[in-house]
Formats: sequence, structure tokens, C-alpha cells
Amino acid sequence: MSRISGRISTQSKDQNNLLVLLEEAQSKFGCLSQEIMSELAKSVGVSISEVYGAATFYAFLSTKPQGRNVIRICKSLPCFLKNSELIIESVGREIGIQPGETTPDGKFTFQLTNCIGACDKAPAMMINNEVYGDLTSKKIMAILKACK
Amino acid sequence: MKNIAITINGLQLTGREDMTIFEVAQANGINIPTLCYKSELPPIGACRICVVEVEGSRTLVGSCHTPIAEGMVVHTHSPKVLATRKVIIELLLASHCGTCFMCSKANMCELRSIAADLDMGLPQVPTRRLYYPVEDVSPYVIRDLSKCILCRRCVRACREIAKQNVFAVAYRGFESKIVVDFDQPIDTDVCRDCDVCISFCPTGALSRPSKVTDEKKGRPLIICD
Repeated sequence: MSRISGRISTQSKDQNNLLVLLEEAQSKFGCLSQEIMSELAKSVGVSISEVYGAATFYAFLSTKPQGRNVIRICKSLPCFLKNSELIIESVGREIGIQPGETTPDGKFTFQLTNCIGACDKAPAMMINNEVYGDLTSKKIMAILKACK
Repeated sequence: MKNIAITINGLQLTGREDMTIFEVAQANGINIPTLCYKSELPPIGACRICVVEVEGSRTLVGSCHTPIAEGMVVHTHSPKVLATRKVIIELLLASHCGTCFMCSKANMCELRSIAADLDMGLPQVPTRRLYYPVEDVSPYVIRDLSKCILCRRCVRACREIAKQNVFAVAYRGFESKIVVDFDQPIDTDVCRDCDVCISFCPTGALSRPSKVTDEKKGRPLIICD
């Protein structure tokens, strides 16, 4: 068995498990490099394009290296109606990058994502696995300061 | 296999129980337009052009993937169906590159042909047009993804007929795109000259090279928007 897939998983190498395998690889290696995706494609028995297709469809999978703190702001309708644009702007201003970018020091990656299921607390964002709701510009400053 | 009686556009018809509405209609000379269905490929109901009205059903159904049932009453060209098809074509055209007069597929384009049948006129919905550079790396196939309508015929034809799996759909929403490997131009390493996908493409997105000249590789110049 190859180097990467040997390390990645206890899951069965079945194409129905592709998403689980991608998630596992992502949490182990931080992002899905072309090398990892090629290995996965081979071991699962699907084409590289299919693996790349799944990896780019899901907002929580990344094909690019990410910062230590991944900020994900919801771009769906409920958050939009509760002024998520303002939140997106404030985060961008605070850390000096646009959605889709990573800070040069590798501290933050900033992404827009689809609904994160926190509509009752809109506008909402996630930093790594933590959900923050009812955001205001003030709250954001405090939350980002606490990030290491 | 059991025969099933259904009514399409007031005609009493019968079909085998494993047939879809589309197949029964086609077998009886009733033409339902479609952009993603091909008899050689498993139906996926991606384009929604083949929707029909089934009495008693809350919504219109995709005829290419809906099996017939005893006593079904179907209307393939009711005002509701035609209005829906028009909206779908409208949306497809709105995000299409709109350079039909420069396109080598021209009057053989299935999208254009259905638009003409439905008397679409000029697009009414302004949408952001996505522009992708033409890929002509491969000596066997030219890909112009600005003309792609994401019907997935190439994906299925490559998988089911050529048994190659070269294509897949990547990204999401407006950015959805048919990709090869890690979103690279198609080349001779991944694809030989089987030609299958080209013959299945309903638009000018996939074509055989006659080489594109530099004049035609530029961004489309759209004069009225």
C-alpha cells in the first residue's frame, strides 16, 4: 500500500467512502494536496477528476494550505438578511485579507461558506470548530484578538 | 414484462413497465425536448428541459427519469410546461457566452435549436457570464467551457461508453465546471482520440480541432448587453 493512503485511513477503500476519506486526510494533513488526492483516487479506484470534484465542492475541504485559524463566514440568505456583509467586511479589515486568502504569517485563513446551521444566531461564523453567533463588529474584534 | 396503459396529450398509449414517460412518448412520435438525455446513457434529469405535467402530481416531473404508471395522464406541451421550459432555456442562455454567430456548432447546437423552437427571442435575464479560455492543447478535442451547459453528457459518455472517466464536475454553484484531473486542460496523457464525448456534446463546448485561430481565442466581444 502506498505511503499516504497507508497512513490515512482505517476506512474501507470504497468509493462510497470517498468523502470520509477526504475529511480524514484533510484533518491529518491540513489540506488536500494533489499528491494526496492522486493517492486517494488510486486506492479508491476513481479518477483524479472525481476526487478533485468532491474536494472542491465542499466548503470544509481545502485543496490549498490553510492558516492555523480558519475563519468561515456564512454567505447564505438568513445571515445575509442579518447583515453578514458588514461582518465579512469587518473581519477582512481586522486581519487585512479578503475571503479566499490566508495571512502571510499563516495565522488566519478567511473563507465564505454555505449555511453552517446557525441561522438562529445569524449572522454567524466559525473559527476552526467553534461557532460564534449574533456577531457585531465589536464582538469580532474581541474574538479575533483571542485567537493564537 | 407487463404492459402499462397511459395517456399522453389525450392519446391512449401503452408501454412496458420499465419504460419512462420520455421513452413512451418518443416511441409514439411525441417529441419532448431535452439537453441531457441520450438513450445510450443512464438518465440523470440534470437539464430539466424534458419536464412534463402529470395529472395529480404537485410539481412538473422530469420525463426522462420518471417511470410510467398505470393510468398516468401526461401533458408534454401544456402552457405550464412550455412556460417552465422557456424559463430554463432563458437561464441557460443568460449564462451562455452568446457568441452563436462565431460558434462552429452554429445551427447544429441543441440549445439554440430548442431556444428557436420555443421562440425565445433575446435573453431577458442579465446574468454574469463566465468566461473560460478555449483549451486546444489536445490534438483530438477542443474544449470551450464558456459554451458548456453542465448537462454532464460528456462525463457519462466517457464513463459509460469510453470507460475512461476523464471528466468530473468540480466546484459549486455558479463556479461549477467540468474538469479534467486537477482542473487542467485536456491533453494526450489523459485522453486519446475516441471522440465519444464530442459526439454527445449538445453545444459547441466540445469540438474536433480544426485549429482555432488566435482571433477566435480572445474574450467574446458582446456589443449589446
